[in-house]
Amino acid sequence: MIYRNLRFALNSAWQSFWRNLAVSTAAVLSITLILVLAGINLLVGHAFSQVLDGFRAKVSEISVNVADGTPLQSVYDFQQQLAADPRVSNVQFITKDQALAQFKADPNNVVLAQQISGNPLDAKLEVRVAKLDDVAAIDTLARRWSGVDPTDPTNYQGDFVNRMLQLSAWLGIAGVGLLAILVVVSIVIVMNTIRTAVYHRRKEIEVMKLVGATEWFVRGPFVIEGVMTGLIAASFALALLVLAYQPAVERFRADVAFIPLSYDPAFMVSLAQDLLIGGALLGALGSYIGVRRYVRI
Amino acid sequence: MISFQHVFKTYSTGTEALRDVNLVVPEGDFLFLVGPSGAGKSTLVRLLIREEKPSKGKIFVDGVELGRMKRRQLPGYRRKVGLVFQDFKLLPNLTIYENVAFALRVHGEAENMIQSRVAEALDTVGLSGKDNTYPANLSGGEQQRVAIARALVHAPRFIIADEPTGNLDPATAWEIMQLFLRINARGATVVMATHNREIVDLLRRRVIAIDAGQIARDDRSGRYHDDLSKPQIRAQ
Ligand SMILES: Nc1ncnc2c1ncn2[C@@H]1O[C@H](COP(=O)(O)OP(=O)(O)O)[C@@H](O)[C@H]1O
Ligand SMILES: [Mg+2]
Repeated sequence: MIYRNLRFALNSAWQSFWRNLAVSTAAVLSITLILVLAGINLLVGHAFSQVLDGFRAKVSEISVNVADGTPLQSVYDFQQQLAADPRVSNVQFITKDQALAQFKADPNNVVLAQQISGNPLDAKLEVRVAKLDDVAAIDTLARRWSGVDPTDPTNYQGDFVNRMLQLSAWLGIAGVGLLAILVVVSIVIVMNTIRTAVYHRRKEIEVMKLVGATEWFVRGPFVIEGVMTGLIAASFALALLVLAYQPAVERFRADVAFIPLSYDPAFMVSLAQDLLIGGALLGALGSYIGVRRYVRI
Repeated sequence: MISFQHVFKTYSTGTEALRDVNLVVPEGDFLFLVGPSGAGKSTLVRLLIREEKPSKGKIFVDGVELGRMKRRQLPGYRRKVGLVFQDFKLLPNLTIYENVAFALRVHGEAENMIQSRVAEALDTVGLSGKDNTYPANLSGGEQQRVAIARALVHAPRFIIADEPTGNLDPATAWEIMQLFLRINARGATVVMATHNREIVDLLRRRVIAIDAGQIARDDRSGRYHDDLSKPQIRAQ
């Protein structure tokens, strides 16, 4: 019986979709557009979080410059103290010689390295902080240490880090807000499409009620039509995004080279899931709300 | 058995369509509801099929109070009653067979069961062989027969009809009425709102006259008008 009811609903939904082709197409296209926007939103969010993760790794590491002439024991003590701090995940001591070697090894510094005489570089403690939020506190701690180089204590740029944190928070909120707006708009579109379908089948609905159809039996075809609309739109949107993703990333990398955006095909799989499930849910919800009033027995 | 106990119906517009209606319809009865346009006949029918709820009072069908019936019980109840309307309410894009089968299809019945029940119902109304015709190609009387077949296909205990002959010429109306009598003879209770004076007067069945929302008369073997000396006043 469930199978027969499902077959009836699928048949009706399919017929209704084609009978109101103009409206159905308009709905599919609008929702495709919305899902493309939602997909772009997710992709940009993903890319940004990747870039941000890179930055995070960089800025959560600070170098504490050691003043020349600081006793080695004092450096080791401070290194121990930092290593014991739960906020710190790793501390490494770089001697003056190692620092110079590192500096010379960097191909960017070739010209500069030739002009260096002696070793002007400080020895340093490279501190990796577990949470980005704690970097400022560790920096303060380091600046109070007696062995720190007073002219250039650390490489910590609090302003920059704070701005990054703020920006990522705002972008997150904006992304969620945009997504919410897109969801509401697409539900409204499906709702109105389904209302048209209901209008075309109002006589059938009336007869269904009179001969004792259940509310779900009346509603079923419309909900399925909504899901169909959502799934078709999601497939279109997905196809467009898959086609555009790699060229867009390459174009972006060519234009804005300093942001290390990467092409991540694995994310496409999760995006496909999100769009298809999202499209189906939006369709179901929109049509459920759209017919609710009309199927009341 | 159907019973109305002090039933009032006031629409949201303020119209008092029924006022203190008391009524008992025993099993197997054949009942005409008569009265001028706007008297409240259709309202009574709509209450009986639970399309509307009474504003006050109670309606019982087989001991169940309709006002207290849950929404999910409604489909089951609607299957117990067969409904026939003046405008047939057939689906134009479905064949005769499919129109009748529709009433079973919405309950997910099996195809072989649908086939035999539809054939039987079409046979009862004398439309065997028209299975694949569309409603538009049938006369009014034939369309109403299809609607009756659809009402019968569940083998309902109650047949409720609102002006079923209102759109038909006298000869056809008479044929349709014969059909209702046959259905009643097979045991179904029939409640019919009608304007058809000739038929009511000829059949001399139970007649309930409604006037301005109230029961004016309930005769065991009644006529369309109680007072033959001044029919024009009550006629409409
Ligand atoms: N859905 C409705 N909303 C408001 N008023 C209604 C509605 N249906 C009927 N009425 C009013 O109720 C009264 C009885 O109508 P109805 O039951 O249709 O009478 P009848 O079938 O005897 O002609 C009329 O005055 C009519 O205008
Ligand atoms: Mg009426």
